[in-house]
Amino acid sequence: MAEAAAVQLTGVHATSALGRGAAAQLAGVLAGAPAFRPVRRFDTGARRVDAAATLPEVGDLPDELAESVTEACRAAGLDAARRAGCALLLAVHGGPGVPALAGTLAGWTGLGGPTRVYTTACVSATSAVADAAALIRRGDADRVVVAAGYLVEPDQYALFDAGRALATDGAVRPFSAGRTGLLLGDGVAAVVLESARRARRPLADLLGWARAGDAYHPCQPHPAGRGMARAVGAALTRAGLPAEAVGYVNANATGTGHSDAAEAAALRAALGPAATAVPVSSTKALHGHALEASGLLELVVTVLALRHGKLPVNAGWLGPDPDCPLDVIRDAPRPAATRYALTLNAAFGGANTALLVGAA
Amino acid sequence: MTGPDRATTLAVLAEAAWPEPGDGPPPPLPGYLHSAFNPLVAAVAERCLTRAHRAVPAPGGARCAIVLVSADGDRASAAHVRATVAAGRRPGPLFFFQSVPNSVAGHVAARWGLAGPVLCLAPTGDPRADGIAAAELLVHDGDADAALLVLIDDAPDDAGAASAVAVLLGGGDTR
Repeated sequence: MAEAAAVQLTGVHATSALGRGAAAQLAGVLAGAPAFRPVRRFDTGARRVDAAATLPEVGDLPDELAESVTEACRAAGLDAARRAGCALLLAVHGGPGVPALAGTLAGWTGLGGPTRVYTTACVSATSAVADAAALIRRGDADRVVVAAGYLVEPDQYALFDAGRALATDGAVRPFSAGRTGLLLGDGVAAVVLESARRARRPLADLLGWARAGDAYHPCQPHPAGRGMARAVGAALTRAGLPAEAVGYVNANATGTGHSDAAEAAALRAALGPAATAVPVSSTKALHGHALEASGLLELVVTVLALRHGKLPVNAGWLGPDPDCPLDVIRDAPRPAATRYALTLNAAFGGANTALLVGAA
Repeated sequence: MTGPDRATTLAVLAEAAWPEPGDGPPPPLPGYLHSAFNPLVAAVAERCLTRAHRAVPAPGGARCAIVLVSADGDRASAAHVRATVAAGRRPGPLFFFQSVPNSVAGHVAARWGLAGPVLCLAPTGDPRADGIAAAELLVHDGDADAALLVLIDDAPDDAGAASAVAVLLGGGDTR
């Protein structure tokens, strides 16, 4: 059994093409209908692919981040006094003005503690969550807000299109035969993490977390999922849980050929025989890939699904891929068999993170 | 983010800068184009790790993180992509692969066998202090025993050339 959690999630909020707010995310992933549509936000005439998961009525990124932070703090029951000393860890795409954005956002939302900005690609948000947990565990902070945001915009869209990373058939098909790539999606999310001593409304325990590298290639994962396997193993060790206790994996799987196969290999290496028995899905097939924010959106979805007791489907499934021998959730949500779940993320640079949560 | 008053507990095992006296621009880095950002990271990391270890791979690299600190990231490449997209054209595919600083961090990690966490930050305080604080947290938390910290100044106040510092941190006890 895991020890009493030192770190708990006490408030969450997210906005994606599935809707605005936590309830909309849960309803959307359990409905199982992918949110990909032709792009109307900007011209895609010069692109090979015309599909993304965008929310029609969306503000600019600072405003959306402020809403998510405010709502997550409200859900956690943080009044102005409790927010005053709260740290803010922000995950966004790097660029001019980004360091100042953290200060602006903290000011708008009344978070008066230290700030840090993560620009480490698709593990930005989950690296921030891991660091938040580490800060709480080390005694540096009692309360940390992690916020992350990416709204689909023309530059990254064009780059992913130029890199032939986007799915050419309008669907994301993680771990499936016939998968052709990823599709981008809006994602803005915030979570409140608190020490168990301070938490008044725990939603979930953050029991395990880890970050590890592949040391293999600038942009491609190690074919055996070397870093991801170490991250999963370290998260389990920190949580004090056996592989068999994990009842769900929200996988990083982007619908990309070699990347999904590497993740499947990592799960086999880290979980052993349990890898073929644990239910797996990637909710990116529903809400798209929110890049720097993807891990936080997926953490929110995972926590909500665990608490609800139903695990979301892996949309876009066409058939099994022998390189991904996993128990992929197809057709309909599946009842959660345990209260524990992993949510995994990987990024360029061979960066990997694993977060292990338990429904409170 | 440097957090509460906490003594620096990791030792500086090696340090390098680019440029140092006699340096010109960093050597081109195959697979990367248009901007000095990625060659600069690779050159300063190579110099620091060579001073520490003489040759690849790095001993103990399996537990060495990379922490790359840059205020704005690769501004030149981002500006080129923005202009290309605004003109209705397609950016070259290599710009996709260098669109995030993780990419060149992964290049360094692969070359030297650094299999600890890969972390890129935009500093909200003093870049060196922020980077050291991030490295110490990774070590304290158990995901690394050492860290290569790379600090990029891509927008020098004096309009000079971009510069970088790399610091190999380790050997301390942060627990």
